Amino acid sequence: MSPVQTATLILLLPLLSAALIALCLRRQGALASWISTGAAGAIAGLSLSLIFGGARDFPASWEWLSLGGFTVSLGFKFDDLAALMLFVVSFVGFLIHLFSLGYMRDDAAKARFFGGLSIFMFSMLGIVLADNLFMIFIFWELVGFSSWLLINHYHEKQSAADASKKAFIVNRVGDFGFLLGIIWCQHTFGTTSLDALAAQAGAGAAWSHGIPLLLFCGAVGKSAQMPLQVWLPDAMEGPTPVSALIHAATMVAAGIYMLCRIEFLMVAEALHVILWIGTVTALYAALCAIVQRDIKKVLAYSTLSQLGYMVAAFGLGSLTVRHDIGGTVHEMAFAAGVGAAMFHLTTHAFFKALMFLGSGSVIHGCHHEQDIFRMGGLAKKMPVTFATFTIGVAAIIGMPGLAGFFSKDSILYLAMEKNTPVFALLALTTVLTSFYMVRMWKIVFFGQTRSDHAAHAHESGWVMTLPLVVLAILSVAGGWPGVFGRLAGAVAALVPQAHGSAHTTILLVSLAVMIVGGGAAWFFYPAAGTDALEQKARGAFAGLAWLKESFDRLYDYYVAKVQQRLAMLLNFLEQIFLAGFIIRGLAGFVGLVGHSARALYTGSVHTYVYWFLIGAAVLWAFAAGFL
Amino acid sequence: MPDSNAQLLQLAIATPLVAALFIALGLPKRFSTKLAGVAFAVPALIALWLWREFPAGAGADYAFRSDCDTGLAAFGISLKLGLNGISLPLFVLAGIVGLAAGLYALRSGAERLKLYLLLLLVMHGGLLGVFASVDIFFFYFFHELALIPTFIMIGIWGGRDRNYAAMKLTIYLTAGAMLSLLGLIALYVKSGANTFDLVALREALAADPLRVTTQKYIFGLLLFGFGILVSLWPLHTWAPLGYGAAPSSAAMLHAGVLKKFGLYGLIQIALPLLPAGAAEWAWPLAVLAGVGNVLVVGFITLAQRDLKQMLGYSSVMHMGYCFLGIASLSAVGAGGVVLLMVAHGLSVALLFLLATSIHHRTHTFDLADMGGLARQAPVLAALFVAATMASIGLPGFANFWGELTVFVALWQFSPGITAVAVAGVVISAVYGLRAAARVFFGPPSEQFQRVAAQHPPADIGWGERLPALILLAALLFLGLWPRAVTDGVNRALGRPVAEMVRR
Repeated sequence: MSPVQTATLILLLPLLSAALIALCLRRQGALASWISTGAAGAIAGLSLSLIFGGARDFPASWEWLSLGGFTVSLGFKFDDLAALMLFVVSFVGFLIHLFSLGYMRDDAAKARFFGGLSIFMFSMLGIVLADNLFMIFIFWELVGFSSWLLINHYHEKQSAADASKKAFIVNRVGDFGFLLGIIWCQHTFGTTSLDALAAQAGAGAAWSHGIPLLLFCGAVGKSAQMPLQVWLPDAMEGPTPVSALIHAATMVAAGIYMLCRIEFLMVAEALHVILWIGTVTALYAALCAIVQRDIKKVLAYSTLSQLGYMVAAFGLGSLTVRHDIGGTVHEMAFAAGVGAAMFHLTTHAFFKALMFLGSGSVIHGCHHEQDIFRMGGLAKKMPVTFATFTIGVAAIIGMPGLAGFFSKDSILYLAMEKNTPVFALLALTTVLTSFYMVRMWKIVFFGQTRSDHAAHAHESGWVMTLPLVVLAILSVAGGWPGVFGRLAGAVAALVPQAHGSAHTTILLVSLAVMIVGGGAAWFFYPAAGTDALEQKARGAFAGLAWLKESFDRLYDYYVAKVQQRLAMLLNFLEQIFLAGFIIRGLAGFVGLVGHSARALYTGSVHTYVYWFLIGAAVLWAFAAGFL
Repeated sequence: MPDSNAQLLQLAIATPLVAALFIALGLPKRFSTKLAGVAFAVPALIALWLWREFPAGAGADYAFRSDCDTGLAAFGISLKLGLNGISLPLFVLAGIVGLAAGLYALRSGAERLKLYLLLLLVMHGGLLGVFASVDIFFFYFFHELALIPTFIMIGIWGGRDRNYAAMKLTIYLTAGAMLSLLGLIALYVKSGANTFDLVALREALAADPLRVTTQKYIFGLLLFGFGILVSLWPLHTWAPLGYGAAPSSAAMLHAGVLKKFGLYGLIQIALPLLPAGAAEWAWPLAVLAGVGNVLVVGFITLAQRDLKQMLGYSSVMHMGYCFLGIASLSAVGAGGVVLLMVAHGLSVALLFLLATSIHHRTHTFDLADMGGLARQAPVLAALFVAATMASIGLPGFANFWGELTVFVALWQFSPGITAVAVAGVVISAVYGLRAAARVFFGPPSEQFQRVAAQHPPADIGWGERLPALILLAALLFLGLWPRAVTDGVNRALGRPVAEMVRR
C-alpha cells in the first residue's frame, strides 16, 4: 500500500465504522462496540506502519470545491509533526476504545457511544492529516460535534444536556474568530495550503497581526483557554472514557497542534498575547483545582492548567542558541516553543489519559461515586489502578525520570531564558499542580474507606487494566530522549535543552517546586471525609471557590440578562411595529383583500378550478388575438 | 425537434399538473392517492436523470431545450423550457422536496385529503415550471401557479391564526409579486428586444446595455419585489407567521422551494441583465437589509418559544446570507448563494417535516411544554439533531459550503460585514441547539408527562422516516460532494459575473 492509500484508509476507517453503526447496528450494542474498537485497532496498526515507514510529505491533494477563483481542497500533509500527533491520537484512541469495552459494557446506548467515538476518531484524524486551513476548520467543527454528541450521552440528565450545549456554543465562539482568520488568510495569501503559506511567509510576504490572533481564537475555544475555558469542567458530564480521550488527551490538544502547524505565521505581538493567555490560564485553573471535590473535576482543571502550560510554551517562541564552531560564533534560532509545546502535549496525553482512565476505573469500582471525600482506602482494594494512577501523579508533578519531568523542564527552561515573570508564574503553577494532585491522590487512595460504595470497591477486568498499564509505561518512558526522539523525529530536535549551569538551576527549581507543593499537600490534608482547607482556612477556600464560579456567573448573567433581553426587546419591537402598527395602518386595505381572498378559498374546489380554467382560456384567447 | 430529454423535462412539469386535473375532475379517493404518489415520484426521478444527463460542456447555455408556441408569439412569449447550471440544481431541489412533501402528505391523514393533494400537486408543478422556464413570462406564470395554492392551503388546513396568516401572506406576497412583475415588464419594454426569452434578452443587453439610471430603477423594483418574496428584512414578517400556520407539506414546499424564486430571479435574471443597477443597490441597501436578516432576525429567533415560529424565523435569518452573497457581486458569492439555496431548501423542509412529527407526539409546539422526547423517539431525535446541525452549518452537510463561500466572497466586499455574518453562525448554534435540547433532552416537562401518559409517543414510522431520509441523504450528499452543484454553477456564472466584477 502506498503511503497515500494508508493515510486515506486511516481517515476513512472510522467514518465507515460510524456509518455502519448509525445505519445498521443501532440495536446491536455489543457488535457495534467491537466494530468500533476493531477500527480503532486497525487505525493504530496502520498509523504505526505509516509513522515508522519513513514516508513523509508525500503529495496528496484533491479539489473538493471550486467556485470562481476560490478552491477548497482535501489533502494530506504528513510531516514529523503530523506523525507525532497521529501516534498520540491513534494509540491513545485505541487504548481508550479498549477501556470503554469494559467501562460501557452495561450501558443501554452502547451503539450510540461507540458510533460517537468513531465519528470523533474520524474528525480528529482529519485535523491531524489536513494540509490546509479550510480542511482543518471542517474537521475542527466536526470534533466539536462529536464532543457534543458524547458529552450528551446521558441525555436524560439536564446537566448533561446543558453541558453539551455549552461546549458546542463556546467552541463556536472560538471558531467565529478562527474562520475569520482563515478567510483573511485566504485573501491575503490567495491560499490556505500550509506548504504554500510557509513558502510565502518564508519569502518575506507581509501580513497583518490580526491573522495569527484570529487563528489563535480557534485554539482558545478548542483548548479551553481563558476566557473560553468554562466549557471544559462542565464537559465532565460525559462518560469518563470520553473525558480521557476528547477532553484530556486529544481534542483539547488540537488547539496547540494547530498553533504549531501555523507557527510560521506568528509575529511577536501575537506571540505575546498567546504567551500571557496561556500563563494566566495555567495559574487560574491550578487554583481552581485545589477546591474541587469531584475526582473528574480535579482532573479537568488540571487539564486546563496543563493546556495553559502548552499554550504558554508555544507563546515563548523561538530560542537563539550560540554555537562556537572553529572560533566563530554562530547564532541559530529555532522554534523551541513548538518543540516544548508538542513535547508536553505528548507526555500529557499519556499521563492525563492514564489518570482519567484511572479515575474511570475508580468510579466504576465504586459504583459511580465521584466525590473524592466519599472514597478513601482504595490503594488496597484496587492495586493495579492505584499503582498506575500513582505513576500518572508522579509524572504530572514532575518526578525525575518520568515523562512529565522532561517536558515540564523544557518549558521551564525556555521560560527562564525568555521571560522571567512568566517563568515565576509557571513555577508557581507547578507548585500548585503538585499540591492538588497529591491532595487528590492521598484522599482517594489512603486512609479508611468512607462510604459503602468505596468499601465494596473492586478491581476491574483486564480490558480496563491493560490500557492503564500500557499508558503507565508510556507515562514513564514517553519523555526519555531515546523514545521521544524516535517518535517525534524533527520535532524532538526543536525541544529546548538546558546545558551547564542552566541545567542545574532548572533541575533544582523543578525538584524544589515538586517537593514543596507535594509535601505541603501531604501534610496538610488528612485522608478524611472533609476538606481540611475548608475547615482551617475558610476565607481562602471561599476565595478559590469564587474564582471558579465567577466566570460561569458572568456568562450566565450575559446570557440571561443581556442576550435574552435584547432578543425579547427586538421581538417585542417586531411584533408591535412591523407586524402590528405598520400593517394595521393599512387596515382598510387588509380587510378588503382578506374578504375577497376568503371568498375564493371557502368556495368548493370545483368552482375554483373552473374559474381558473375559464380565466386562463379568456386570457389566452385575448392574447392570441381571437377576441 | 426536441430530443427525448427535453421531452422528459416537459413531462416532469406536466405530470403533477395533469394528475391534479384528474383529481379535480372527480377521480375517486383511492385512485387519487395512488395517482398523486406517482405524480410526486415521476418529477423527482426525471430531475435526477436529467442531472446525470446534463452535458459536462454546457456553460451558460441551456440544455434540454424545447419551445412550444402558446399563441403569444406576437408578444415574444412562448413556453421555452431548458436548464442551465444554475437552474438545474434548483430543479432537482424542487423534485426532491416535492417528493418528500408529497410522501409526507399522503401519510398525513389530512381532512379532505383529495383537495390537499390536488393543491400540493399544482404547487409542485408550478415550482418545477419556475426553474425550467427560459421564458421570463412563464417563469412568473409558474410562480403564481405555485403561490395561489399556498394561500388556500393555509386558509383551510392552517393552524393557529390561520385567517390572519393567510391574509397577511396574501397581501405581502401579492405585493412582492406585483413589484417584480412590474420590474420584469419594464425590462421587457426597455430592452426593446420584444422578447421574454432570457437567452435572447441576455444577448441583446450584452450588445447594447441599458443606461445606468434605467438599470437602477428596474433593479430596484426587482430587488424589492423579489426581496419581499424571499422575506428580506424588514419586509419579512409574513414568513414566520405564515409558516407557523401553514400545514406541513405546504410549509415544506414554500419555505424549501418557492421562496427561492426571488433569489433565483435575482441571480439568473437581475444580476446578469442589470449589473450596473446591482452595483448601485448592493451598498448600502441590500447589504444592510441582509445584515438585518442575520443579526436582528437572528436575535428575534432567540426569543421564540414556539418551535415552528422559531423555524420560521431561522429560515428568514438564513435568507440574510443569500442577500449578502448576492450583494457581494462576485462569482464566488453568487455561486455560494446557489449552493445555500439548495441546502437551505432541503434542510428547512426537513425541519418543518420533523416539527410536525414532533407535534404529533407532544401535541404542542411550545418548547416549554416538551422535554426528554429522545427517550421515546430516538430516531426522531437523531433526525432532528442532524437537520439542526445541517441548518446551523456543520461541515458534512450542504449548508456549510454555501455559508462558507458566501463568507469568503463577502470578505472582498467588507471584512466588517463578514464578521457580522459569521457572528450569525454563533447565534444559529445557540437557538438550534437550545431547541433540540428543549424538545429531546433533559427530563420531560410536567405538561409533556401528562400528554405522554395519555398518548404514549412512539418513534417515527416509515411513512415519516422515508421522506426525512430522502432529504437528509441529499443534504449529506451535497455536503460530501459540493462539486455536484458547483461545477455547473461555475460554468453558468463564468461570463456574466466576470464582466460584472470589472464594473
